[in-house]
Amino acid sequence: MFWQLVVSGLATGCIYALVALGLTLIYKATEHVNFAQGEMAMVGAFLGYTLYTDLHLPVSMAVAGAVVLSGVVGLVIQFVVIRPAADQPHFNVFIITMGLSIVLRSLAGLVWSHDEFPFPGLFPVRPVTFGPVVVTPLNLGTIAVAVGIMAGLFAFFRYTRHGVAMRAVCERPEAAQLMGVEVRRVFAAVWVLSAAVSGLAGALIAPVLNLSTHMGAVVIPAFAAAILGGWGSFPGAIAGGMALGVIENLAGGYLAGQIKNMVPFLVVLGVLVVRPQGFLGEKEIRKV
Amino acid sequence: MLALRDVTVGYGKTPVLRDVSLRVDSGRIVALLGANGAGKTTVMRTVMGLLKPWSGDVRLGARDIGGLRTARVVRLGIGLVPEGREVFAHLTVAENLRMGAYTRRDAAEVAQDRERVFRLFPVLGERLGQRAGTLSGGEQQMLAIGRALMARPRLLLLDEPSLGLAPLLVREIFQVLRQIHREGTTVLLVEQNAHMALQVADYAYLLETGRVVRHGAPAELLEDPAVKRAYLGG
Repeated sequence: MFWQLVVSGLATGCIYALVALGLTLIYKATEHVNFAQGEMAMVGAFLGYTLYTDLHLPVSMAVAGAVVLSGVVGLVIQFVVIRPAADQPHFNVFIITMGLSIVLRSLAGLVWSHDEFPFPGLFPVRPVTFGPVVVTPLNLGTIAVAVGIMAGLFAFFRYTRHGVAMRAVCERPEAAQLMGVEVRRVFAAVWVLSAAVSGLAGALIAPVLNLSTHMGAVVIPAFAAAILGGWGSFPGAIAGGMALGVIENLAGGYLAGQIKNMVPFLVVLGVLVVRPQGFLGEKEIRKV
Repeated sequence: MLALRDVTVGYGKTPVLRDVSLRVDSGRIVALLGANGAGKTTVMRTVMGLLKPWSGDVRLGARDIGGLRTARVVRLGIGLVPEGREVFAHLTVAENLRMGAYTRRDAAEVAQDRERVFRLFPVLGERLGQRAGTLSGGEQQMLAIGRALMARPRLLLLDEPSLGLAPLLVREIFQVLRQIHREGTTVLLVEQNAHMALQVADYAYLLETGRVVRHGAPAELLEDPAVKRAYLGG
């Protein structure tokens, strides 16, 4: 029982981690907090759904298409909504992204309605047994895909010219410009990457939750995960997401329904009291 | 090579430079002297396209580069070692150097230039895997210069390279500067340390509250009573 809960918790945790990574990407590069991250995941999942049901693509192609189209959505959002407001205070941009989340949800409702749709899984749901543990390939596959993407992102940031340039922009945009980096292009690329990762998260979680316009609420646990792991830290977003998913699932398995939803946030609160910078965050020293 | 003509520029509505004209001829080391707030850094930022001149023009050869995007200016062969070093603290030394060569695709020659940087600053070669934030101030200054050299600039701008460094290190940095210049890079050097700057420079400009008030060969400036009084301690 315990290990089953852990594995399926990790699967959910991977989704949180992906959305949290999306948040972290945008935050690190631009210091903007994107409240519409969950809606970007939701729109991505719906796009995948359309590719699957209307264009009859195989599931894997539909999910891949969802990732690509999500990236395009991210680019459009960056160009139309974020770039014109780039010089405004960060709080204004935060409010803009809140408005954006409402707009995206309404638009998705217009296009696809606010009903729930069954979303095809990339992997079968029939459980398989490993010794005493019974798990579904869907869970394992979700974990594998998410971990694969995380490893890919890690390699990208570590070893490629553009990845290193993105890190440089995150740290010192002006010095990066002095290296010849087109910083505005990097900001756009960050939104593309962030939206694509979130779109993947949406397509991965849709089979579990059923696809609906309410899926954007995933942004709340994703925020909690990013804060738990250490706001602004990539490894922190991953660790926080996984931890939150597992805790949530264990609470759901062992505790009464009324309190299980509180538990993850109580844990987040508890951790932050003891360690305000989260698991892996760097301590922020504010000079007075 | 580089020429500013009657450049007026500032921040917001306040002009910092007024009608500044100066030239950096190919193959020279030109020093730009002046007190804090005289506008030295503003000259650098304007050349790099970080500020757009309100009036006047900035030319590189025959080309007007005033207000060109910074990334374009860098590709035209101007590099800046910014005030305060501005190394990427979370990136390793190797990654910082790699960022310096960001605009270049000639991998073989980039590798050569990396070797050159290690020749100039052997300590960087020993610290390749270390995060730049863990380096000492002097090492960070070396990295900032090395990083700028990785772009193989024709014209190198240095903003206060001696700031906050111990005298011995300052001397070392200036030696390397001479070396870089001998190897064919034109240099525009901003300094508060007028003594050091006038020792290496071929020509110097003195900036006071946003205007060029004197310019000439170092020997002339060293003899100028006003310069002596203000910058060379009597």
